[in-house]
Amino acid sequence: MLKNYLKIALRNLINNKVFTLTNIVGLTSALAVSLLLVMTALFELSYDQFHAKKDSVYQVYLSSQTPRGLESGTSQPVPLAPALKADVPGIKHAVRTLSDDVLAIYKEKEINLDAEFSDPAFFNIFTFPAVKGNAENPLSDKNNVAISEEGAQKLFGSTDNVIGKSISLQLGKQEQLFTISTILEDPPPNNSMDFDIVIPFENHPEYISNMDRWDSQFHLVYVELEEGITPEQFEKNTRDFTSLHYKGSIENAIRDGAVANADGLYKQFHLLSIADMHFTSFASGMAEVKRTFPYMILGIAFVIIFIVCANFINMNIALSERRLKEIGMRKTLGAVKKQLFFQFWMESLLVFMVSTILGLVLGNLLLEPFKTLFNTRATLDYVTQPKILLIFGLSIFCVTLIAGGYPALLMSRLGTLRALKGKLDFGKNRLRNSLIVLQFTIAILLISGTLVLHGQIEFMRNKDLGYNKEQVISIPLNGKKDSYRVVELLRDELKGNIDILNISGADNNLGLGRDGSSMNSMMGFDYQGRGVVTNALTVDYDYAKTLDLEVVAGRTFSRDFAADSLSLVINETMAKQLGEEDPLSIRIPMDDGATTYSVIGVVKDFNFQDISKQVNPLTLFMNNDWDLYYAYVKIAPENIAGSFEAVEKAWSKIEPQAEFLGSFLDENLDRTFRREKTMATIVTSGSILGILLSCIGLFAISMLVVGQRTKEIGVRKVLGASISSVAILLTKDFLKLVALAFIISTPIAWYFLNEWLQNYASHVVLSPLFFVAAGLTACLIAFATVGSRTLKAASANPVKSLRDE
Amino acid sequence: MLLQLNNIFKWVNSGGQRIFLLKDINLEVEQGEFISVMGPSGSGKSTLLNVIGMLDSFDEGEYNFLDESVHSLKEKHRANLYKQYIGFVFQSYHLLDELTVKENLEMPLIYKKVKGSERKAMVADMLDRFNIVGKKDLFPAQLSGGQQQLVGVARALIANPKLILADEPTGNLNSKQGEEIMELFKQLNEEGVTIIQVTHSEKNAEYGSRIINLLDGRMV
Ligand SMILES: Nc1ncnc2c1ncn2[C@@H]1O[C@H](COP(=O)(O)OP(=O)(O)OP(=O)(O)O)[C@@H](O)[C@H]1O
Ligand SMILES: [Mg+2]
Repeated sequence: MLKNYLKIALRNLINNKVFTLTNIVGLTSALAVSLLLVMTALFELSYDQFHAKKDSVYQVYLSSQTPRGLESGTSQPVPLAPALKADVPGIKHAVRTLSDDVLAIYKEKEINLDAEFSDPAFFNIFTFPAVKGNAENPLSDKNNVAISEEGAQKLFGSTDNVIGKSISLQLGKQEQLFTISTILEDPPPNNSMDFDIVIPFENHPEYISNMDRWDSQFHLVYVELEEGITPEQFEKNTRDFTSLHYKGSIENAIRDGAVANADGLYKQFHLLSIADMHFTSFASGMAEVKRTFPYMILGIAFVIIFIVCANFINMNIALSERRLKEIGMRKTLGAVKKQLFFQFWMESLLVFMVSTILGLVLGNLLLEPFKTLFNTRATLDYVTQPKILLIFGLSIFCVTLIAGGYPALLMSRLGTLRALKGKLDFGKNRLRNSLIVLQFTIAILLISGTLVLHGQIEFMRNKDLGYNKEQVISIPLNGKKDSYRVVELLRDELKGNIDILNISGADNNLGLGRDGSSMNSMMGFDYQGRGVVTNALTVDYDYAKTLDLEVVAGRTFSRDFAADSLSLVINETMAKQLGEEDPLSIRIPMDDGATTYSVIGVVKDFNFQDISKQVNPLTLFMNNDWDLYYAYVKIAPENIAGSFEAVEKAWSKIEPQAEFLGSFLDENLDRTFRREKTMATIVTSGSILGILLSCIGLFAISMLVVGQRTKEIGVRKVLGASISSVAILLTKDFLKLVALAFIISTPIAWYFLNEWLQNYASHVVLSPLFFVAAGLTACLIAFATVGSRTLKAASANPVKSLRDE
Repeated sequence: MLLQLNNIFKWVNSGGQRIFLLKDINLEVEQGEFISVMGPSGSGKSTLLNVIGMLDSFDEGEYNFLDESVHSLKEKHRANLYKQYIGFVFQSYHLLDELTVKENLEMPLIYKKVKGSERKAMVADMLDRFNIVGKKDLFPAQLSGGQQQLVGVARALIANPKLILADEPTGNLNSKQGEEIMELFKQLNEEGVTIIQVTHSEKNAEYGSRIINLLDGRMV
């Protein structure tokens, strides 16, 4: 029996070659792409889920009521973690972590390693298993460090005989000796804390000076709660603790006019599950867990699958009409509903199985290019979990049931006589049309998303950031030499080169450099009885000149003035915050009045932070006691490649051991919206595939519809219709559907894109042109798809179609 | 003279061989004639009718219609010519299923770009003349075969053609219905319309003033 079904199914599929092939091609590509997208999404969603204690370990963040509103921060002061553990009940472990680059030296080798400074309990609360050495307590001693396999490979060239070896680490200005106690498995790719080496926290150069300071916050704190303790209890338990330790800043907040929260508090500790931390943003002041990105990818995968399934269902229904006579015949021969249903289902199942296999093959072939293109470290392991496979199998089962079963149902309900007559009118056009409308709604949504995303990226790329991003190279100072000395040496080395215009340095980068690190440095002080918060940047001479910053008042730091280490240059926003008519008159006492700084100049606002943010207050310091971390070199617009080479050469002369990581600021800027670019690539390819698949469906449907209407076309032509009028008549029906899709999709697209653009302090204007362009594109593509078919049908000689049988 | 065919040949190439569908057809038709074309199945009757109706082309010979040489006309002019002067009636009616009787009648007028008000009057006139006013809002599927053919003839006539080409107009009808259509044709012919019909029935052929016999694409 089954064999019989299979035989007939195969024969039918071969008879309708075009449609079978169309379906298989569509399904295969959709399945392959969806497979990759689902893989990416599941990979994203799996971030930090591997920690065995993910349900009891939390990141601590403090939300503060400020005059500017609610603000939250994860940066904590050094004494917090020990104090929490000692004073607050219900805490099993409290751990500090701080990511930093550290120069590791072993024999002749000097290598920058990603370091995690932390406490011994790090290994109690996080799941980073050891491969060799002390697995229980890798940080048992202040001079013990744990290194990852990759880190060991990099430093020693091998993971054998590494335990017990001594290495030097450059911490601050001096080198310190450490012993390797443990080799760790490499942290998995779906991990928020990427590190090569874990170093006891006390060794951080900032540790000693900040040991008892509650107002200097620069690292993260994680806690593991004792069993039965909830985050709510923790929040309650820390209230008195908070009022005690943050007394001063709470009083300042009250003085400056902050409004207490619903509980009457000004500061409150909260916990954020480590399972959520990868997806958290503090943009609105509170921690917001948003898994938008992976869900969007899942959504696109789903939508693509939907489009091909709709094609499949549509074609099957349209095709089944051709088979009405066959069905009627079978019924007169005594076929029952169940058998008819099986027959249709078998055909669908066959098509799906073939496509699934081909899709898997194609997906595997595309895996590597996909990973590079979308910049993901996901692997197929994330998809081949039993749970996912089960869901996939079930969904295929359901889709084939609908795709094959629906027409079968229609037909089997149809009276034998009506079937023999070959007429089917079950409102199937309504289903078909709704599916086409839905497909094109999705396609237009994706196209407008693509256009707006690219628009925003272009907008960000071309935005005037207030500094020169085309002509300036920034170089991470990752060598051993003193940073001021390196900048000075660079100046000397490149002095003769007329293409090198200016050289300066600062303690922070602009954009994201090739070293991959970014940081924020904030400070607060009282001015005229008010609390003031500003970003702080330490710079070297010529900073403004090198970056083409515009000085709007006063001057910048200059070698002609001896006392510039007590001078400040501020940006316009900072000047506004300080609120003085003449900003150059501002004197700011700091360190409890021990020193007084004076503002000597104001620079025009420039985007020194992420471009999605608005420009915040900024204060430039010039103090040789504070290290620089980046050098900036401005080059002439001519001979850019040559100048870059010259800079690189100078660098390798000055710091032969350290890798040259210099890059132009516009590249750095591009790196900061890598996420947007990935998103744009995904949405773009999704929309291209979506529209392509929709068109395949539309093409097949138009073929069938035109086929059904050849007789009508002939009659019309004999009655005097011109080719164009017939072509328009046929095309109109399809374009109407696309127009309807446009009307439906535009408000939806507008709403979501507008929401998304709100994430950016300055963004591209959401002009109607985006939507018109998307709609026109869809219309044009649909027209091109259908038009060729209809035109051909319209120009055919009517004699053929009208021949009386 | 309405039309004139001189040495018309039509063939198709199949497997390197030339198969003649029409061979050396010479025919003159005067205004007001009623011609019946007869012959066995496959003898080329429909082909001849399609050539006369300018729906199909021919490979050799001359065709003059009202002093226009059809063989040298462009496709577009030819279409204009038959739109204006020729009406078709088919064996299986070929009404547009999704249009009502009234709308079916209107269709040729729309394609001839007749104005709305004028169109309405002409349709009403035709409905009246064929006694189908009561059926004007029905769809073809709701009519009997005879009624459908009646609509078919009405549609062929509505644009006031000089020539009606009917390919087995009674082929799908019973003898009673067939007779009615033939009576209608006769009456139309008396009113001055030229008619060329293809038929298998001797009896129906008798309605015509002249009979042409075809055999293997050749007039006999
Ligand atoms: N396009 C074509 N290609 C090949 N052969 C054709 C073509 N059109 C018609 N014929 C052949 O030409 C011959 C005449 O066809 P035609 O339809 O004119 O016959 P007929 O006399 O109308 O027959 P019937 O009485 O059955 O309607 C037939 O043998 C047919 O197979
Ligand atoms: Mg015929």
